[in-house]
Amino acid sequence: MMSYQDPNPAAAEEKLVAERYLKREILGEGTYGVVFKAIDTKTGQTVAIKKIRLGKYKEGVNFTALREIKLLKELKDPNIIELIDAFPHKGNLHLVFEFMESDLEAVIRDRNAVLSPADIKSYIQMTLKGLAFCHKKWVLHRDMKPNNLLISSDGQLRLGDFGLARIFGSPDRKFTHQVFARWYRAPELLFGTKQYGSGVDVWAAGCIFAELLLRRPFLQGSSDIDQLGKIFAAFGTPKPSQWPDMVYLPDYVEYQFVPAPPLRSLFPMASDDALDLLSRMFTYDPKARISAQQALEHRYFSSVPAPTKPSLLPRPIRKGESANQKTTDVVPQDGPVVLSPPRKSRRVMGFEGNIHHLGKAGEQVWDVKHMGEASSQSGEMPMSVDLEAIFGSRPAPRPTLNSADRSHLKRKLELDLESEYHQ
Amino acid sequence: MAANFWASSHCKQLLDPDDVDVLQPLDRERGLTQEEFKLIKIHMTNHIWKLAQQVKVRQRVIATAVTYFRRVYTRKSMTEYDPRLVAPTCLYLASKAEESTVQARLLVFYIKKMCSDEKYRFEIKDILEMEMKLLEALDYYLIVFHPYRALLQLLQDAGMTDLTHFAWGLVNDTYKMDLILIYPPYMIALACIYIASVLKDKETTAWFEELRVDMNVVKNISIEILDFYDYYKGDTCKGEPVKGIPEERINAALNKLATK
Repeated sequence: MMSYQDPNPAAAEEKLVAERYLKREILGEGTYGVVFKAIDTKTGQTVAIKKIRLGKYKEGVNFTALREIKLLKELKDPNIIELIDAFPHKGNLHLVFEFMESDLEAVIRDRNAVLSPADIKSYIQMTLKGLAFCHKKWVLHRDMKPNNLLISSDGQLRLGDFGLARIFGSPDRKFTHQVFARWYRAPELLFGTKQYGSGVDVWAAGCIFAELLLRRPFLQGSSDIDQLGKIFAAFGTPKPSQWPDMVYLPDYVEYQFVPAPPLRSLFPMASDDALDLLSRMFTYDPKARISAQQALEHRYFSSVPAPTKPSLLPRPIRKGESANQKTTDVVPQDGPVVLSPPRKSRRVMGFEGNIHHLGKAGEQVWDVKHMGEASSQSGEMPMSVDLEAIFGSRPAPRPTLNSADRSHLKRKLELDLESEYHQ
Repeated sequence: MAANFWASSHCKQLLDPDDVDVLQPLDRERGLTQEEFKLIKIHMTNHIWKLAQQVKVRQRVIATAVTYFRRVYTRKSMTEYDPRLVAPTCLYLASKAEESTVQARLLVFYIKKMCSDEKYRFEIKDILEMEMKLLEALDYYLIVFHPYRALLQLLQDAGMTDLTHFAWGLVNDTYKMDLILIYPPYMIALACIYIASVLKDKETTAWFEELRVDMNVVKNISIEILDFYDYYKGDTCKGEPVKGIPEERINAALNKLATK
């Protein structure tokens, strides 16, 4: 467990790790271990070091960590997080990354930051560039969300957290569909497909694009069923002619037919080109969905305004400063409570401010009161996607993969492994 | 696993033939000869193969494990990195990297079942410690490409799928050499197809010409493979371990290392 008791960097233990890195304060807890800030004495660069917790069951280097190492060693691109170094220290494996000042979630949430159409274009372009590079190398990210799009001190956006990423391209290879935080999950995943491709990342990028335009998460489903409801409310219930394979998907259920509202009504401020690109990223049939590379060639990126240069993008608020704001965002409301361990938010947030929702044992309880209201209203207003009325201007807290999802995912992965065992 | 070989770390790491199969100074000090070095690598490749058959992993996991094993000894000495521990650890790491994890305790169990010699037996903690050292020795590069996929596609293209079984066995045997560290996997596949087609009297000249690959390289690889069979008098096409290396010679070589 990480300690929040002494966030003062000066008091933090100063020592050289592996005779090279000067250890600074703890930044948070990642998917599989503590992340701390450090100075690389060789280059003077500020870095973030992930200390990989050793598996509990005597299974050596954490499987997820190994996946991330394996893929990041192959993926060197300006829009993908760089794995600078890796080394064992005191029996633990340490991964050294460039220190990333912020992430896209902080940018979207920063109410002082104005995002011009050119800024939005720049962010989504960098996202798609990173994604196109992954797909060119046959890697699926599978966990695209604003929180995983990290922003460097010079404004570059880089894809981070490849703990769920996988190599794809083998025909008929079956994957688990329990990937992505729900709000970014493509409809084919929600219908339980086991054979999917790069389209799932493109859908998620579409959600991120929409989120940049709206400054709030676009499709905030409270369950998988509800998520599909939100999607269909926004784009209309898909007809088999639009998506012939849909009815054969494992978890396919028929939804009541809802016609699509004009896309313009959902994104009143977006340009025609932006809307056209959005509609192609949100194409139901994964086979017909635009690819990341094609999206980059879309006229949206060549028409005015030109994307803002990364170094000129609005400075996101520093992580430490966002802590206060973050806690006030989560105001208890009536309705069902979903307990969701906010592992990712801890990873990037220093929480140096008041952490009143920290439990005694360092256990964090995050009240995610989402969408209860929405589903209770679903009788009269079946498919509303606009939650402004419910939340006011307050953004809803984002669920990461919740614990149920994660244990499910783990079981699935184990099943995956079992089935691959004998091939 | 389909991915782009040309942009991969595997491609960038391909070595010059002169840089593989080089005895480390520390091993030479111990009196290990070039020939013994080769023999140990062949022997341990067989060891990985047998162990893998016990724990039932996919072909490509075995191939990846052997590639790791051979890569390690282009950089590290056998004196410091006991091949009898490195071999099962390579299999362990490869199983993880290829997303078909085999538990360390299973490996330990089957090694004990397979080997009566105390020097081959290790505990879980030995494997886990070695895993970390291996990662470092491999510079954390874990993605490896193999000839198998290319082999199937090329045979399909040539309309010679009847050679699949034979050529596949040849590919398996190439892992008893360091070819995978030197040549792009599809070139190894082509060499195996070339050998198979020549031995089975298939006319392939036109097909090879159309491929526009450097036939000299294909032929060189083929000759290396044939020389290997010649030298070790192996049983060619059954995917079985190459026979003909007396146990005593292996033990004599391993005893020079005397690590455990």
